[in-house]
Amino acid sequence: MELDELKGQLNQQLLSGFSNKPENKLAELLKGKACSLLCKIKKSILFEIACCIIGIIAFASISIIYHETAIRVYFGVFGVIFIPFIWVLWYLFKKIVAFENLVLPVKNNLKELIDLLSLFAKRYFQFNMALLPVCFFLAMALGYQQKEPIEGLEQMFLKLKGLTHFYSGIIIAYIAVTLIALVYFTKWYIKKLYGNYINQLQQLLAELKE
Amino acid sequence: MSESEKEFLHQLNEHQKIIHKVCNLYMQFPEDKEDLFQEVTLQAWKAYHKFRGDSKFSTWLYRVALNTAITFFRKEKQQSFIDSVSEIPDKQVYSDKEHIEEQTRAMYLAIGELSKIDKAIVMLYLEDYSYAEISDIIGITANNIAVKMNRIKGKLREATLKKIETA
Repeated sequence: MELDELKGQLNQQLLSGFSNKPENKLAELLKGKACSLLCKIKKSILFEIACCIIGIIAFASISIIYHETAIRVYFGVFGVIFIPFIWVLWYLFKKIVAFENLVLPVKNNLKELIDLLSLFAKRYFQFNMALLPVCFFLAMALGYQQKEPIEGLEQMFLKLKGLTHFYSGIIIAYIAVTLIALVYFTKWYIKKLYGNYINQLQQLLAELKE
Repeated sequence: MSESEKEFLHQLNEHQKIIHKVCNLYMQFPEDKEDLFQEVTLQAWKAYHKFRGDSKFSTWLYRVALNTAITFFRKEKQQSFIDSVSEIPDKQVYSDKEHIEEQTRAMYLAIGELSKIDKAIVMLYLEDYSYAEISDIIGITANNIAVKMNRIKGKLREATLKKIETA
């Protein structure tokens, strides 16, 4: 039996369980919540923007209130870093909203969606990675400039006197292990959030490229 | 309620069968079908202000519904597509009507096993859209659609036969 011979019956089968929703029921649906990945990303972006704004206010307050230079510089720098991050997040948010308003052919829609999600994942990774050296170098530079000795650390240095190379080695190893772990963790996390979905979309797109 | 919302709801009411069909084809569980129905409705409403009437509302709605269904992923559940339609009856002496019903069920199950893209093409084909119109919605050439449709028909023929033989 061929597909063409069963067109009518298959159309009936596709309509099984159909009950006409009245207009007021349809109107209620317009007020409901969307559950697509893009809507979740939009919510997540808005949440991150709100966090950044709170962060800027909190960090700016700390850097104004405290007298210690190290604390003022550390929180001041992070307060400033959040400003371009808000701009990037807002740009991505606007791109998603613009995409949602478009009704493209299936192939173009898949391509645009993959590009959008890949861009979001890329920027997310880049921002996280850019923060790492800032965190480490700022902490090291400010720690070096700290004039007041920190009780516990001072005693540890005294014990390690004469073992400068060993001490430096431990510091370098600590930084290297932490950096590598953070890079892999961030990659894994982004892949878990978006990577698998992007792969599934890419498979669908590949089917249309044959 | 704004004029635009009224107009949209009226159009949607007239064409809601399209969304229902897409939900039935892409989702197996009633709650998933409801979620997809809601998602398609919302997507259509978000994009409605850009609908200029260059194409028929039904064609435009098909595009929205298929785009939403294709990119709508749910975690795999245990139930398969086969559970959402009634069982194929055992081979026995049956009338012509029963014979067609059996063939339809088997073919429907075979369609359920197609990829998301192939399902979209079959759905539009069943709606009697021309290859040029399908190509417009899917975004590949009409020739490519014709080639794909031939392959799909072959796949469905084989899968249907297998299902009837193993029933």
